[in-house]
Amino acid sequence: MEEKILAILKEHCEDALTYDGDSMMEDGVIDSFTVINVVGDLEDEFDIEIDAKYVVAENFKNKEAIIALVRKLLEE
Amino acid sequence: MQLLSLSFVILWAAAFALYYLAPRRAQWYILLAASLLFYAVGLRGFPLHLLLIGLITYGGGLYLKDNLEREKAAVSKCVDKESRKALKAAFGQRRKRVQVLCFVCDLGLLVFYKYAVIVSPFLEKIVGSDVGFLGKVIMPLGISFYTLTAIGYLTDVGRENCEAETNFLKILLFLAYFPSVTQGPFNRYKPMKEQFESGHDFQYDRMLRGIQRFVWGAFKKLVIADRIGIFVDRVYGVEASSVPGSIFVCATVFYMLQLYADFSGYIDMAMGVSETFDIAMPENFKRPYFAGSVAEFWRRWHITLGTWFKDYVMFSFVMSGVGRKIGKACKKRWNTPGRQIVPIMGTMLVWFFTGLWHGRTLSYMLWGIYYGVIMSVSLLLEQRYPLWKERLHIRDGGLWSFVCMVRTWLIVFIADVLIRSESLTQAGAIYESFLIRLRPMSLLSHEITSYGLSKYDFMLLLAVLAVWLAVSVLEERGRDVRAYLAAKPALVRWGCYYGVVLTLLLTGIYGGGYDTATFMYQSF
Repeated sequence: MEEKILAILKEHCEDALTYDGDSMMEDGVIDSFTVINVVGDLEDEFDIEIDAKYVVAENFKNKEAIIALVRKLLEE
Repeated sequence: MQLLSLSFVILWAAAFALYYLAPRRAQWYILLAASLLFYAVGLRGFPLHLLLIGLITYGGGLYLKDNLEREKAAVSKCVDKESRKALKAAFGQRRKRVQVLCFVCDLGLLVFYKYAVIVSPFLEKIVGSDVGFLGKVIMPLGISFYTLTAIGYLTDVGRENCEAETNFLKILLFLAYFPSVTQGPFNRYKPMKEQFESGHDFQYDRMLRGIQRFVWGAFKKLVIADRIGIFVDRVYGVEASSVPGSIFVCATVFYMLQLYADFSGYIDMAMGVSETFDIAMPENFKRPYFAGSVAEFWRRWHITLGTWFKDYVMFSFVMSGVGRKIGKACKKRWNTPGRQIVPIMGTMLVWFFTGLWHGRTLSYMLWGIYYGVIMSVSLLLEQRYPLWKERLHIRDGGLWSFVCMVRTWLIVFIADVLIRSESLTQAGAIYESFLIRLRPMSLLSHEITSYGLSKYDFMLLLAVLAVWLAVSVLEERGRDVRAYLAAKPALVRWGCYYGVVLTLLLTGIYGGGYDTATFMYQSF
């Protein structure tokens, strides 16, 4: 699962892979368009629905947070 | 009540003293009392509309909380996944209906107050009876700010990103918090609630830092924005065909700086006041004129409005049923390019509403569409940029960064002519003057001093703008300028403080009775 998520991130925003902070959206590493595209690909890849309530800075603060979000949605 | 007035300073000082004398758990009552007093005095009347929005927000929040609790209880009793999903959808539908009802009430009132004056003459012609009372409707102070803040709160509660508040007075404080009620920044409930509820002890250094930021904001407003404003008002106040294009170029560049100094000056003052109460609000500006693209410019200018529209309009639309359906259809039809259609629609929607939020005229609508189109085009071309740069042998950094900055200034410059002009006709005439009547030598002639600013004013402006630029460069490099100054020897430190205060007192633009001009964003 992690490899697939990292591959999606690599396709849309390579900088997210090397980012080691905890505010990727505020730091301008990932913009809103990229978030939308990443969300779209994650939904297709894992057959999940990512509601707008999950699209917050906290869930996109770094790659680990994105992985945790997908894991949580898969478990639901 | 203006932030730059003696009555405000008295209110601030009294609230500050009572705040730190009060028991820690009661401190927020002092903030509430100060906020309501500030608002009622500023409004010169009873804050009926604010209370109404407060009640809608409070009631809506309580319903959402109750609905979410009932949903959890019902879902916990379900064994299979499908029934859980159906239950969640049913509860979600009810939440959505109540949210929409609250938003319609909030926005309906906002639209009524914003457009009643404009609509009344047309309405009178259509219905044929006297609707003159509509023309006398006065917009409540800060209505655009606290209405959006209320909508943000209800959305966050519905999304379970914050818990609904059960105390009406805390909702009222959140909406009416006096440093931010008239011009922002847009606060979020969760961090504000935590700070309102936690006790705060007096700290001399923090008080000093708050006052420093307040004075710096006043400096930007009175010494820079209001001085520049004299020139801008004069130039834009005369017949466009009688003014050389170069003077309009100068006036528009000044307007860009005026708007920035005025609004960021207000925000500095608001943040400074809030800092003295140990309440941190989100930053609203990060040196926007250092941005290398328009998208970056808007990530640095009025940041909290941008994040508000991104979180509550853009993502709500893109992740909605309609947005998803359109997205899937476009992706199926056009594959990769089709993926960009929904984000582009979301961007246009956001900018259209941003334009409407800022002003009531067609100019503001066009201004919003202009930025929407630029953002959308840059989104479409984004993936080609690296290839183009490689072909043209352009390397990032250095000169290229500066070129990108100038390109951003130019885009903002064109947009600002639109919103500063009195009408679209005037804006057209000004654009025309840039092309056919530039006459750049006018900037070096006596003509430049015939619009309200003397040579002394221009020299003073150059000096203070240089100081502002130096401070901005330090901040851009990650320096905390106030901490940087605090670490300097006393002579240097106090020399700087006195320099700013004396410049403010001696060269600030004051009206009769030392009144100051109103803040530009207060009218939005």
